[in-house]
Amino acid sequence: MKRWAVLACAAFLAFPLAAQSVRGRLQGRIPSDAIPAVDSLIQFASQEGLPTEPLIQKALEGGAKHVAAPRIVAAVQVSLGQLRGARDLLVHAGDPPPVLSTEVTTVAWALRRGLPAPLVERVVAALARPPRAAALHAVADLVAHRFDADSAAGLIIEAVHDGVPQERLLDVSTAVLQQVQRGHTRAEALAIVRRDLPNLPAVSKPTRGTVAGARRPASPAQP
Amino acid sequence: MNVIDQRIHQVLDGELAAEAVPAELRRAVAQLAAAADLLAAPPAGAVTSLESRVMAEIRRPAPSRARRVMRWLVTPHAIILRVRPAWSVAFAAVVATFTLFTAGQEGPEPAEHEGIAQFVGRFPEAQSVHAVGTFNDWRAGSIELEDQDHDGVWRATVVLPTGTYEYMFVVDGERWVPDHLAERLVADDFGRENSIVIVRPARR
Repeated sequence: MKRWAVLACAAFLAFPLAAQSVRGRLQGRIPSDAIPAVDSLIQFASQEGLPTEPLIQKALEGGAKHVAAPRIVAAVQVSLGQLRGARDLLVHAGDPPPVLSTEVTTVAWALRRGLPAPLVERVVAALARPPRAAALHAVADLVAHRFDADSAAGLIIEAVHDGVPQERLLDVSTAVLQQVQRGHTRAEALAIVRRDLPNLPAVSKPTRGTVAGARRPASPAQP
Repeated sequence: MNVIDQRIHQVLDGELAAEAVPAELRRAVAQLAAAADLLAAPPAGAVTSLESRVMAEIRRPAPSRARRVMRWLVTPHAIILRVRPAWSVAFAAVVATFTLFTAGQEGPEPAEHEGIAQFVGRFPEAQSVHAVGTFNDWRAGSIELEDQDHDGVWRATVVLPTGTYEYMFVVDGERWVPDHLAERLVADDFGRENSIVIVRPARR
């Protein structure tokens, strides 16, 4: 009983604290008249178990680009709609609720990149959670290059089933695009790569010099 | 130098009987034999002294390990180092090469869930270029591109957590430009397009 009381108090205190921290991130970054509406949209998302970070990022993006308040609110509203659509798609595809925030974000990404919802649902239903994000990006890369969506999805799903690790799924779409650059038609390129699965061309990793020359982003100056 | 009669040698060596030599030679033989006996017999006092010293050394308790280590540390030791000049030169060359090639390469080591992102853009007239996106809360200043050889091509290589990010370039602090070299673009819901970078783990 005592434990439940402590948890209830913690939740009661945590929610306003989280809301306060969101407002703190938005304060001074977006027009002040947009903050109440954006904040309430973020609270809706939080109450529905949806990820809030994409909404915060959309608002910050609008503020950075000096977009007017109503357009920022509208864009955040659109993003919330995309997240809800992604959650519904995951449930429809067979993911047991509550769906994971990371999965919702992944599916929302795929929809934003222009993949048709039935195709995303097909990939989600065919694959376990870990390779989904990479698989959907690989399919989206091929669709963006005017490959047939169903064939592209079929290749990537087959690659996963053939044992291509998730960190190499983007190399599958790259290999297909390389075949097109060599003069093959899109259908031929898909067939060539499919025939060679799970073997893929060697991937160019960042050189030692590149890694050595890399730096971590500096802390941005506060406005 | 006195020359000893050959017959004395023969008598001492037992090759000739003492009675076969004259009396004066027999006396000389007797004196030499007595002297030899005297030299052969060890002095009684010295034997006792050596034995007692050896036994005393044996009976002395062995020093402790710490004492032995301390004694080894404070005792001078001769170190003999034989060096072939050819090997020395080769070793020096290896050390010099290693030092030259690793100098200035102390970049950040990406962690397990980090990767490398490279931003490249061609802005010939620009004074400053920043990469701004979801990796830095859309705030300029944290990822500044550089044009070190003043050819108008601006570059930055950064370590970021693995994931998918939207971004744009901000040129001269006011002009928002998508990365035309990025293969992935997405509508930004504000009437423009953001570029997409997918950061993959550096330790693949």
